[in-house]
Amino acid sequence: MEPLDKFSESAVWQDPSLVKAYVNNIYTGVTTGFGAVMMAAIVDEAHHNQNWNTTPTSNGLVTPSNLLVFGSSDNTFLDEMTWDPSYEKIRACNLFLEKIADVPFDNEAEKDVLTGEVLFLRAFFYQRLVALYGGVPLITKSYTLDDEYTVPRNTFEECIDFIVAACDQAASLLPLTGDKARGLKGSALALKARTLLYAASDLYNTGGEWASGYPNKELIGYTGGNVQERWLAAKNAAKDVIDLGVYALYGGENPATPADATSNFANLFLNNGNEEDIFLVFKDNLRDDHWAAPNPGLFVGPNGWHIWGEDSPQGQFVDRFEMADGTPFSWSNPDQKANPYENRDPRFYATVLYEGSTWRPRPADAAALDPIGIVQVGSYTRPDGSKVPGLDTRQGPIEDWNGGFTGYYLKKFIDPTIDHQYEKQTLPFRRFRYAEILLNYAEACMELGEEEEARTYINKVRARAGMPPVTVGGDVLVAQYRNERAVELAYEEHRFYDVRRWMIPEEAYSMVKGVSVKGDMANDGTISNRTYSLIDVESRAWNPHFYFLPISIDEMNRNPELIQNPLY
Amino acid sequence: MQMYKKFAIADYGRLLTNLFKSPIVMRLSLIWLIISMHMSVFAVGQSITLNKRNVPLANVIKEIKRQSGYNFLYDAAALLEAPNISVGMKNASVTEALNQVFQGLPLTYVIKEKNIIISKRAVPAERERKEIIIQQREVAGRVTDASGQPLEGVTVAIKGTSTATMTNSEGGFRLPLEGTGNVLVFTTIGYESNEVSADSDGPIDVVLTEEISDLEEVVVVGYGTAKKETLTGSVTAVDGAKIAQSPNVNVSSSLAGRLPGLTAVNSSGEPGNDGATLRIRGVNSFGSSDPLIVVDGVPGRSLDRIDPNTIQSVSVLKDASAAIYGAQAANGVILVTTKKGTIGKPSITASFNQGFGRPTRLPEMADAAEYATLLNEIDTYAGQTARYSADEIQLFRDGSDPWNYPNTNWYKEVMKPWSGQNQGNVSVSGGSENILYYVAVTTRGQDGYYYNSGSKYKQHDFRSNVEAKITKDIKLGVNLAGRMEDKNYPTRSAGDIFRMVMRGKPNLPAYWPDGTPGPDIEYGDNPVVVSTDATGYDRTKIYTINSNFRLDINIPWVEGLSVSSTASIDKGINMRKIWQTPWYLYTWDGSRDNNGDPVLLRGKRGFDSPALSQSTEDNQSILLNGIINYETVVSDNHDIKVLAGIEKITGGLDRFSAYRRNFLSSSLDQLFAGATDNYLTNDGSASANARLNYFGRVNYAYKSKYLAEFVWRYQGSYIFDKASRFGFFPGVSLGYVLSEEDFWKDNLAAIPYFKLRASWGQTGYDQVYFDGVLQEFAFLSTYGVGGAGKAYVSGDGATLNPTIFETGVPNVNTTWEKAIQRNIGIDAEFFDRSLLLTADYFDNLRSDILWRRNASIPGSTGMELPPENIGKSGNRGFDFSLSYRSRNNGDFSYEVGLNGGYAKNRIIFWDEVPGRPDYQVTTGKPIPTNPYNPDNDLYYQAIGIFSDEQALADYPHWPGARAGDIMFKDVDGNGTIDANDRVRSPKTNVPTLTGGVTFQANYKGFDLSLLVQGAAGAVNYINTESGEIGNFLKSFYDKRWSPDNIHADGPRAFNRSNEYWRSQRNTYFLHKTDYIRLKNIEVGYTLPASALNQIFLSRLRVYVNTYNLLTFSPDYKDFDPELGAGSGQGYPLQKIVNAGISLTF
Repeated sequence: MEPLDKFSESAVWQDPSLVKAYVNNIYTGVTTGFGAVMMAAIVDEAHHNQNWNTTPTSNGLVTPSNLLVFGSSDNTFLDEMTWDPSYEKIRACNLFLEKIADVPFDNEAEKDVLTGEVLFLRAFFYQRLVALYGGVPLITKSYTLDDEYTVPRNTFEECIDFIVAACDQAASLLPLTGDKARGLKGSALALKARTLLYAASDLYNTGGEWASGYPNKELIGYTGGNVQERWLAAKNAAKDVIDLGVYALYGGENPATPADATSNFANLFLNNGNEEDIFLVFKDNLRDDHWAAPNPGLFVGPNGWHIWGEDSPQGQFVDRFEMADGTPFSWSNPDQKANPYENRDPRFYATVLYEGSTWRPRPADAAALDPIGIVQVGSYTRPDGSKVPGLDTRQGPIEDWNGGFTGYYLKKFIDPTIDHQYEKQTLPFRRFRYAEILLNYAEACMELGEEEEARTYINKVRARAGMPPVTVGGDVLVAQYRNERAVELAYEEHRFYDVRRWMIPEEAYSMVKGVSVKGDMANDGTISNRTYSLIDVESRAWNPHFYFLPISIDEMNRNPELIQNPLY
Repeated sequence: MQMYKKFAIADYGRLLTNLFKSPIVMRLSLIWLIISMHMSVFAVGQSITLNKRNVPLANVIKEIKRQSGYNFLYDAAALLEAPNISVGMKNASVTEALNQVFQGLPLTYVIKEKNIIISKRAVPAERERKEIIIQQREVAGRVTDASGQPLEGVTVAIKGTSTATMTNSEGGFRLPLEGTGNVLVFTTIGYESNEVSADSDGPIDVVLTEEISDLEEVVVVGYGTAKKETLTGSVTAVDGAKIAQSPNVNVSSSLAGRLPGLTAVNSSGEPGNDGATLRIRGVNSFGSSDPLIVVDGVPGRSLDRIDPNTIQSVSVLKDASAAIYGAQAANGVILVTTKKGTIGKPSITASFNQGFGRPTRLPEMADAAEYATLLNEIDTYAGQTARYSADEIQLFRDGSDPWNYPNTNWYKEVMKPWSGQNQGNVSVSGGSENILYYVAVTTRGQDGYYYNSGSKYKQHDFRSNVEAKITKDIKLGVNLAGRMEDKNYPTRSAGDIFRMVMRGKPNLPAYWPDGTPGPDIEYGDNPVVVSTDATGYDRTKIYTINSNFRLDINIPWVEGLSVSSTASIDKGINMRKIWQTPWYLYTWDGSRDNNGDPVLLRGKRGFDSPALSQSTEDNQSILLNGIINYETVVSDNHDIKVLAGIEKITGGLDRFSAYRRNFLSSSLDQLFAGATDNYLTNDGSASANARLNYFGRVNYAYKSKYLAEFVWRYQGSYIFDKASRFGFFPGVSLGYVLSEEDFWKDNLAAIPYFKLRASWGQTGYDQVYFDGVLQEFAFLSTYGVGGAGKAYVSGDGATLNPTIFETGVPNVNTTWEKAIQRNIGIDAEFFDRSLLLTADYFDNLRSDILWRRNASIPGSTGMELPPENIGKSGNRGFDFSLSYRSRNNGDFSYEVGLNGGYAKNRIIFWDEVPGRPDYQVTTGKPIPTNPYNPDNDLYYQAIGIFSDEQALADYPHWPGARAGDIMFKDVDGNGTIDANDRVRSPKTNVPTLTGGVTFQANYKGFDLSLLVQGAAGAVNYINTESGEIGNFLKSFYDKRWSPDNIHADGPRAFNRSNEYWRSQRNTYFLHKTDYIRLKNIEVGYTLPASALNQIFLSRLRVYVNTYNLLTFSPDYKDFDPELGAGSGQGYPLQKIVNAGISLTF
């Protein structure tokens, strides 16, 4: 008897179309950023109103026996980035690489491309593991039941070298253009650029002082060598991507008006691929009826649209958006405090829903209360003195428990043409896009002291956003670069790693701020005389062990050769 | 016969093809079987087969009467005088049989038409009999059993004389009488004898009560039957009639409390979805503990949906006696046998039942004022201002402003007080010497609890069991049963609906005061709407055909040898359609029109446009077997019975499903009308299975005193690799009837029957599930296919690329679980056989449980380690039944029974997390509630409530704890409360002690039966979604801590799981579910036969019965103690009150 619901192993490795399907499955290990708990919620970008373990995680309470949001759960995709799921896909890559030579392909070139894709994917999984754990065991074969399984961690340096070599090899096999949901030359080189940028950063090059007493520093960073060479390698790797000449910033570098810049930045994420994209992640979410299948429109929008208000922007993240003239925003400036959402960076209006901002029309049962679709996060006084809670608050008439706490909701990525309580959007998550490469290049240049070159590239990104150029240097340039990166790449799963590699976590893990709004509501429902005040939403604290994730207690027990990360 | 031929030809073809594929043993057996079938076609004549040793003559006569259909008239005294006799005959004619019986006895017989008149051999006796018949006046009457069924073959004798007769098929009798003061004595096997004065003028109607402990009683065992008297295994049985006393639509739920050692736990009362989880002697494994269910010899048929009217009996094999079912028997076997006809003229019975159901128990929830108070407290504890003023709370309380301040009892709004269910059944049964038939048609319907309920269940059944004697030696039995189930549900599941009812906020309106439905609680879910068909429907239609074709052939030239062959074909078709349409709810923002009437806003909820999901499943199972039987008596004292057989079972299913949405209109619910967009999916799959079995049984009895039985099965299962596919499963049991010994008879006359039993068996369980997945083909290296939702999307989002993946590393050694079942027991009868006791002690050991070795292989290998046969568990306990039946005392008779079982399991070995403190380890402790999440049974020990700051200062506490929080015990005494303070609960959700008390009584035409059932030793965790998300239990409100009530028994108001004592499982919310309930009560009245003669009825009975009428559970008051989840998120169990009428023509 043969199973009727599966293919036999022998059938798979003789049939190129099954081998392709096998590779497709490896791709599903590249996570989307559109889970119900976004990575933004465990760094200083977002606050999660349902608190599916985000508060303890953001207080650094992960332990080897409790991985919190990184533990297996069906609420998030964050656990899919961790040890076991990654190694599962790495095994799939290794198996492919062992078997592919004997698969009869009609077209050998096709075989090379598939091999390049799998090499790229394996490098991708290792890069993700190293960013979360430091040095990890480099497994390059598929184990069988009779093997010896215990294996020590490779050093951080060995891991970086391995990933870089794999990216180079993949790049040599992959085509320059094609389907951006699959590995291309540019995606392999972009992965290499990100890997080298991270590797050159402070966390891995300052001797691990924060983990004093930890005897195995080679697992958590470089223990020798020259950091300038690393920045140079990072710079060159980013430049290699730029020099491919196939990528450009979406919408050009010079929008006519701030409004154009805003809509340009919003639309960047509202299509299935454009000239700026390097590697895209789509999910088969329409056909996936699990509630947690990627559905960002349902997860993050305001409760007054019958949606769930998760991952709402933190006050300090919102405050990072500069004034349109390039000066910083400040609540201590009385004018800015009175009208905090006027004359800000055009990207602000494409990223955040805030009090008084206009989104899509309300659903029918709320339309009478607000026919236009203006976000209400405040508390309003009617002429008769009665108080009315805003539709998008935790006191509002619609699903109040789904209201956010910060006074903001996420607008970025969310398709305004869809009624998210019914429809799922299928827009891709952008794993690599050109703006990141430009910023990576700028950062490497900046660290190498090439400030003019750095400013040139930062300003390309700012110009596209309709923001005036940066002109400063030194520490001020570093601060402004970092702010620029935080604003441009917000919610794209960069910040979590950036605050670690820059070693600025105390800044990132502090009291979550929000805004409280009060105003008057006329009898026709219009709101005026708004006043704003800052509120505390959730206290967070930095625990240094959270520079890296712990290896789970189970894994430590199974493999006695493993050494745990510092301070766990 | 025609049917048999057709079947046989098709089937022989298949058998012959198989000959060349099967192992040699099977091949030889099949050849033998086929030859014997053909040979026996030439045999002719009618037959009586008897094999009795040292039994009263009356027994033999009754048996001949049953087999031949003849009536007997005789002189009772003569029969009583006759010594016990032994007879052995196979297919003898009536004459041959009688000649053998009366050989050497001082009796003779005459056959007159359908009567056999027995008399003393002496000539004067013959003349005397004739005189009596000629001279005397007559008395007539009718004999029935407690349920009013006519009793045939009852001996009616005039006390103190030798005059006697037997009742006919309608239970009627006629006797000559002389003078007055006569007393009639009614006796028959299996019933209490009864004495009635014969002086009344009218007909004499007599009710005989069944003997509770008839050792002659036959129970169904694997591939045959056995007499209780000589039974050596632990087997318990219940009559179909008792099961039918429960008005429950689902049979599995009706078994609770009836059979010692069998537990039936309901987890839902939802119509069509209310099957009980059955456990024989508790939980034996941390794999699956499901028993094997065999209906009319076919494993795997549904017990839940079988029509209770058609059940003859249910037997449970609890020990090594199950070993004849080999690799499927480790959790015990439940055997269901359906009715067949009896000789007599057609008896037509019609019955109709009308019942009303409602939940057994609903939690009392806080009302609007109380809920508002709790929300205010939540606000205060969070440092915010309370959201409601005292005036507002008063408005909630007094209900003076229902638009702004409603006070909603969601349970009352959603559910009607009583929901109807009904059942109609017609059966015809009868037969002659050559054909027996039982035909029944039943229709049942059940309505859901909701107003305008979207939940509805309908079932139509037919059954036709026919047994025909084709020749003297060949008998053909054909059982055909068909069933149509029609399940209708709302598109939201019962779990979702009751979650919303539980969460339903009392300060939100279910309906606005003008009757329009109010807003949702979440996600469009207003339970008063989503429980109806306003959201579309979820409809499943299941069509099932079960068939058995059975051929029994006596081998005429070898006495005692017979063969039989069964072919069964079961077919099922399952069609499901989920039609989801948008629905509309109304919100109010406080605005009013010119008349001052509120203006409600209508909003579309759920779906923007209709969607349809449709699936079809087609399954079948085919069973073929051949069995050889041989029975003989050697030297009068050695009874030997041998059975051997082979059996092949194959099955499979095909599934197909499709989905579309964005239908243009909700007026057409067909797939073609949906949009062909990216949401469109279709899917299909199939599976197949096969098993090959060789099995047998040897019974040996010496003088009915020393008994031995050996059963075995050699079984192969498709689930495992070729090399390890077959296994041998033996079972041995011994019995010793001490009461047959002289020393016993001399000294212990008060205990006329006493038997010791012991058994040992090794069985298996091939339904090897791990984490809900059957580990079939785990020995193969395979690649699975990613279904809908698992494709890889590329090509600018337009291309869905299929995915395949390695399904896990193969484990060629995967095999079945092995069980060793040891049992010792006694059967005893006391005091004139009015008190019967059966008691068993068992000790089961399970090994080779499929479990994953988590600790051994690092995740860095990326390997999904296959589960291996490493687990071991044990289960010990006892079960017993005790019954007492009143001696014959005229019009009133009764019987009382008590049965119970205790089972306690433990883990002997599995993959234990290393380094845990003793009070957390699982090994040696009961199998966890969810073995895949054993830490869920770890609880912090709640030892009180922190009344104030001082109390907090006095005891270690959770970081951030405050007054009103639950105090956790510092178990390890290290001054901090952490994960090491959790203690493994010694109890799980499985009761260790279960039992039932039955009572039955008859008084004239009235009958009463009761079943009280209970269980103890289980716990359940109460966990409601309360806070801003939903309402609180009233019991929580009443007991809670608040600043005004700091010495409270319960903690303070909380919001969802935000407090540590909500997110960390602790004993405060853990409650014992021990309960006792009045499971069934039935009161009936049977009209006297005299009243029925004019209306052509032979019987009319009316009755009222109930199910789960009363429940007592001292520590578990908010929910039904049997209902699994302590969250209230399930369809509540039913309480039913039913009235019925039954007519026999």
